[in-house]
Amino acid sequence: MDVTVEVVGEETHEVTVGDDGTYADLVKAVDLSPHEVSVLVDGRPVPEDQPVEVDRVKVLRLIKGGRD
Amino acid sequence: MECDKCSRDAVMHAAYSGAHLCDDHFCASVEKRVRRRIREDNMLPRDATPEDPQTWVIGLSGGKDSVVLTHILDETFGRDPRIELVALTIHEGIQGYRDKSVDACVELADDLDIRHEVVSYEEEFGVQMDDVVQKDPENMAACAYCGVFRRDLLERFADELDADKLFTGHNLDDEAQTALMNFFEGDLRQVAKHFDASIGDFEKRRDAGDFIPRAKPLRDVPEKEVALYAHLKDLPAHITECPHSSEAYRGEIQQLLLKLEENHPGTRHSIMAGYEELAELVADEYRGDGQVDLNECERCGSKTASDVCRKCRLLESIEAV
Repeated sequence: MDVTVEVVGEETHEVTVGDDGTYADLVKAVDLSPHEVSVLVDGRPVPEDQPVEVDRVKVLRLIKGGRD
Repeated sequence: MECDKCSRDAVMHAAYSGAHLCDDHFCASVEKRVRRRIREDNMLPRDATPEDPQTWVIGLSGGKDSVVLTHILDETFGRDPRIELVALTIHEGIQGYRDKSVDACVELADDLDIRHEVVSYEEEFGVQMDDVVQKDPENMAACAYCGVFRRDLLERFADELDADKLFTGHNLDDEAQTALMNFFEGDLRQVAKHFDASIGDFEKRRDAGDFIPRAKPLRDVPEKEVALYAHLKDLPAHITECPHSSEAYRGEIQQLLLKLEENHPGTRHSIMAGYEELAELVADEYRGDGQVDLNECERCGSKTASDVCRKCRLLESIEAV
């Protein structure tokens, strides 16, 4: 299926995944790691290992920055 | 997909444990891990009393980690008369970035009704990071200057606030990165220092003496979970990346760890479990070995191994440009 993946604050991508694709597959398709982002469906976070059930998701990136 | 603990929709999957949790159970899980770490590391000494309370200064930068830390510490200890919490925020002078994150700090401190102190590089050193980066007198990464200045202010103001401990929001990813960097650099003295200064159980550390001991109760929580917690609790965390941020080696280590964690869930946890044991052994071995005597900087009085501390030398370089 075709899914619109919006990386919040960055680009929006169109990704095609297979019927058994998961949200983690969407994340990897836009060159991010499932361990550095949260995937939001209608504003609500979803487990990355869940099969994709929607045609549009948002990806929230973590930030770097000084900390001490 | 359902939460493992109830029938509500799961919002996350912890690959390292296999758990799926809803928002409520996930947040409870984060809080539980923080409190367990505080208990296991003996961060709250048995002799703390309402008559002689501990002062805990929290480094509050406005980023997700320190905001989450401050929120959980306040929720857990805000009304505990054995502890006085003080949030300490440092304004580095970075246009379009720091003003917003300081605003997040002020908002959070107001919401929690917690004592809050704000200090700035401009007031304390007469410099702002944007100018330092422009001048770059020592040809270093921005973080190298900023880290020196920030640690100096954290230490100095925590001391003025009479802090027993300085809490920082380092998470599992931060600490696993540091562990690998120390290991790859083969720097055993740095490993020993890491244990005694910030990750060791307080009853096993050697007394920090000249420095205020660090406490890092978020260090069992992966970075992504800290961010998710902030999101779910609608905390006023500022999430924009610092425009000067660049730490090439740490970035390499971060990417390595993300790949390892993706292929072998639990890698970060096992690195830290082994590293903590190793660090304790190394600390025992290296304590008192070639111990460097610290004296007071000729210019500002802070502790240093040389006549003039690194911060003052950097400030001198900046003024010379």
